[in-house]
Amino acid sequence: MRNGLMRTGLMRAGLMRDLLVAMLGLLVLLALPLVFPHPSLRDFLIYVIAYGLLAMSLNLLVGLTGLVSFGHAAYFASGAYVFGLLMQSGAVSVPLAMLAAVGGTALLALVIGAICVRLKEIYFSFITLAFQMFIHSIILTWVDLTGGDQGLRGGIPRPPFLGIDLGEAHTLYAFAAVIFVLCLLAMRQVWQSPFGYTLRMIRDNPARANFLGVDVVRMKLGIFVLAGGVASMAGIIMALFVSGAFPEFGFWTTSGEAIFMIMLGGTQVFLGPVLGAFLLQLLNHYVTIYTHHHGLVLGVVILLIVLGLRRGVADFAANWLAERRAAAPPAPAAPEPAKTKAAG
Amino acid sequence: MTRHTQAGPAATLGRRTLLGAAAAGAAMLARPHVAGAQAKVIRVGMPTILSGRVAILGTSSRTAVQYAFSRINEAGGLGGRSLELVERDSKGRPDEAAKVTRDLINNDGCELIIDGEASSGGFAVHEVIRDLPVLCIHTNSETSSLTADPKLHVKTAFRCARQGIHDAVAGGVYASAISKQRGLKRWMTCSPDYAYGRDNTAEFLEFIKKFDPSIEVVDQVWPRLFAPDYTENITKALQVRPQAMYSALWGGDLVSFIEQSNLYRIFGNITLFSSSLGDPPVLTAIKQLPPGLHTAYRYNRNYPDKPSNTAFADGFASLAKHEPTNWAWQNYVAAQFIAEALKRTNGRTEGAALAAELKGMALDSPLAVGDKLTLRDTDHTLIGYPTAWGRTVPKAPFVEGFVPVEWSQVLEMEAEWKQRKGYA
Amino acid sequence: MNLDVLAGCFASASCAVTQVSTGLIVGMLLFLVASGLSLIFGVLGVVNFAHGAFYMLGAYFAFLCFERTGSFVAALVAGAVGAGIVGVLFERFFMSKVYGRDLLMQLLVCYAAILIFDDLVKILFGAEYKLMGMPESFATAPVEIAGGFIPSYYIFMLGMSLGIGLLLWLGINRTRLGKVIRALAINPQMVGALGINTRLLYAGVFGLGCALAGTAGALAAPVRSLTPGMGLSVLIESFIVTVIGGMGSIPGALAAALLIGLTRAFGAIGFPLFVDGLMFALMGLVLILRPTGLFGARAA
Repeated sequence: MRNGLMRTGLMRAGLMRDLLVAMLGLLVLLALPLVFPHPSLRDFLIYVIAYGLLAMSLNLLVGLTGLVSFGHAAYFASGAYVFGLLMQSGAVSVPLAMLAAVGGTALLALVIGAICVRLKEIYFSFITLAFQMFIHSIILTWVDLTGGDQGLRGGIPRPPFLGIDLGEAHTLYAFAAVIFVLCLLAMRQVWQSPFGYTLRMIRDNPARANFLGVDVVRMKLGIFVLAGGVASMAGIIMALFVSGAFPEFGFWTTSGEAIFMIMLGGTQVFLGPVLGAFLLQLLNHYVTIYTHHHGLVLGVVILLIVLGLRRGVADFAANWLAERRAAAPPAPAAPEPAKTKAAG
Repeated sequence: MTRHTQAGPAATLGRRTLLGAAAAGAAMLARPHVAGAQAKVIRVGMPTILSGRVAILGTSSRTAVQYAFSRINEAGGLGGRSLELVERDSKGRPDEAAKVTRDLINNDGCELIIDGEASSGGFAVHEVIRDLPVLCIHTNSETSSLTADPKLHVKTAFRCARQGIHDAVAGGVYASAISKQRGLKRWMTCSPDYAYGRDNTAEFLEFIKKFDPSIEVVDQVWPRLFAPDYTENITKALQVRPQAMYSALWGGDLVSFIEQSNLYRIFGNITLFSSSLGDPPVLTAIKQLPPGLHTAYRYNRNYPDKPSNTAFADGFASLAKHEPTNWAWQNYVAAQFIAEALKRTNGRTEGAALAAELKGMALDSPLAVGDKLTLRDTDHTLIGYPTAWGRTVPKAPFVEGFVPVEWSQVLEMEAEWKQRKGYA
Repeated sequence: MNLDVLAGCFASASCAVTQVSTGLIVGMLLFLVASGLSLIFGVLGVVNFAHGAFYMLGAYFAFLCFERTGSFVAALVAGAVGAGIVGVLFERFFMSKVYGRDLLMQLLVCYAAILIFDDLVKILFGAEYKLMGMPESFATAPVEIAGGFIPSYYIFMLGMSLGIGLLLWLGINRTRLGKVIRALAINPQMVGALGINTRLLYAGVFGLGCALAGTAGALAAPVRSLTPGMGLSVLIESFIVTVIGGMGSIPGALAAALLIGLTRAFGAIGFPLFVDGLMFALMGLVLILRPTGLFGARAA
């Protein structure tokens, strides 16, 4: 418990710093389109925000807890569809629909997670994939509600609320940026909290965690639901941006891309997945412009990163930095020794 | 792989790297399109599917527009300005289609859009056009509601493609004539299990029953879209023994279905009516095409029987190395409409100006069954294209004996349908 | 649900024969693909998510060979051997680099392979639909058995896949090499210590698994249309089969493939709308109740 108290103290100092960085990050995000007033930059950033958030939420499972989910896009889709359907019904305001979409998705994640987190390793991956495929086929077959393969048609209405009009592109962008930073801040607190450290212990040594009296299943379920909720927020942003929701949101390729993003960026540095989302979108953007052999180029890049760098870009950089610091003899205020563990 | 359980300094680094990278990327992206030759070139953007199972949709659409543009440019362009196509692969993802379309308009200086997306991607592009009102012609979406539903109407968006409801009426008229004449009472359907497959089949049945109330649907099977194997559906037909079958399967799925059905020789006893068999790449892929299958027109170099149509087929085939697809003619015609509209606006590309010209525009075209093809002013959709049905023969041109269905009849039935749907 | 019709089908010999054969036809080809997937997982401990791509490669190699030589036998061999060789190369140069690393790394390497192979096929063969064509000797009317009909090509296909499955089982359980491979799955260090080249064996097993997928592709090429990306739906189905049967178990793959095939065949008669949902549900149920699958070893 003494340990816990110490962490709380650390967290307070950390919280101040996180808040500061978050404010700074938000300012940069809001300023970028003012400095470079070009609509396609805004579109690009919204895309990075939505997919970055999806990747970040997936990394709560993969990087933090060691739960490799293959079916995370299910919650992205669920957020987009619940939000889109509620807005199209015309009965609720934007914030209420968002709340309901996140809440509904969290409930869905709770039910699915309760079954999934009991399974270990690759079987966890398989069953999350199975549930995602199931949800995808429900979206496809329940045509009356979801529009089937054609998605939610006719646009998603965005009535103004509290003087905020999301029909206006600048406002939509600013709104997405604020949500993004708030979600990151919340996830950062989880990442640094005792809960977060418990999850790392579950990842590295589940037997030890169990022995210390940690309710492993409940902890896993908790982070599963949280990750699902954040993923639904990403889905809502995407639905607002494209003014629709489509079954492809819940297809395995979307999960695959999210996995690629966190791998590209790095799983152990907190913001690694956002970097990955940014790099993948940048790559995507330029590759589709210059060649129609998009798959060939992307495939080669993936191979180069997996076999060359052997880890995400941010992880690679962090590692390199840590090694350099370790090499410099008397390190002032030595950071907590980096524990390493061979995965596999 | 090395895992750090400690995140502090690494996180700062991540943030710094990220912000730095973001700024660098932003600077790159924000560089606006340098339109040095803007005065000379009109750029037309095309989001479409160029990879995966339906890549041929995109590749044949692209080739058709390129062919049309090169002919226009060789003939001197439009008042000194030439047309250039900028196509992008959406990989079949609607959100990607939306983003790519916005990019084409905002970043690549495209002043018009030819939307080569299918189904869901088409609706996503439609919403972008609502936001960024440049002129857009949808060329590959056959879903009726895209233009028929007034709630979805977008002022600068048009459809230059065949439409589900037109095909349903034509199919009903044609098939009922045969069912009455040959006494085909017991029908079965075999269509892909997704919104288009189900709508298309329901509409066909609605109209054939209207014209021949004595038919009875004894069974309906719904194989998955892109299913590799149809044996269970085929042997089901062996058990049910219908006299006729309707199928909305298309593309590679239809190729597999026909070839697997051949093994059981089912088309000796069951008369097939297909919505999509008439597409040349499907016909040429099938090794043993059974004679006497009925199919809706998709494309044929001999119909409409005009020299300009044969010229189009030859020109397209010399570029694509295969016969034109249904998607090819739709995109070719869209390019013709765009060229004519630009001519009439003297090269002005504002969405509203072009839309005003395109509304109700009638155009000479290789594909017109009557005199002209028309973009109907009320709902911005194409009429006057071939809705004929024909029968298969084992050798090229594979489909013969096209029986046209009068457009007056199609339009009359369509109007009734719109009333029923609350669209009109 | 239409249980009366289903019961009626069981009562009539012709219907029962046709539907059972349908189940076998759907199931056995699935078994060929799934057995390769299962073999690779059982011995190497990796999930080859690019397995569908090797099915596609097998089909295209067979198509190419049949077009050039006109020989169906040569086409079958080309499909199997071609996919096998590409499989060995893929294992040596890429997959072997990520053994013992994160599951994510393996997934990504396979994802890259799918993207690259799909694009290469599109570049080399075009995006049009292709069909290999039926060899002359099979262009006959379907064979009638007790009032039911089975096309002669499908009889050949069933025989082939059954024969290959049997050979595979005999090879693994009755030969010395099979013994070594089984030992490799349990304790690779010990096998290596005995002076056996484990790297070669790994590559060989991976190649064999891919060759099985390639054979299935080649057998399917006369009756299923070839397009870039055609491996995806086959991958998903064979993945379901492998999970239900038990990752690593060849008899499990056979049982699950036949189960799925027969469910589809009789499901089409009795409960047409549930078949696909049923497959996912079955997979989920197996994972919950017995994650290692029906025939998998208890300790994973």
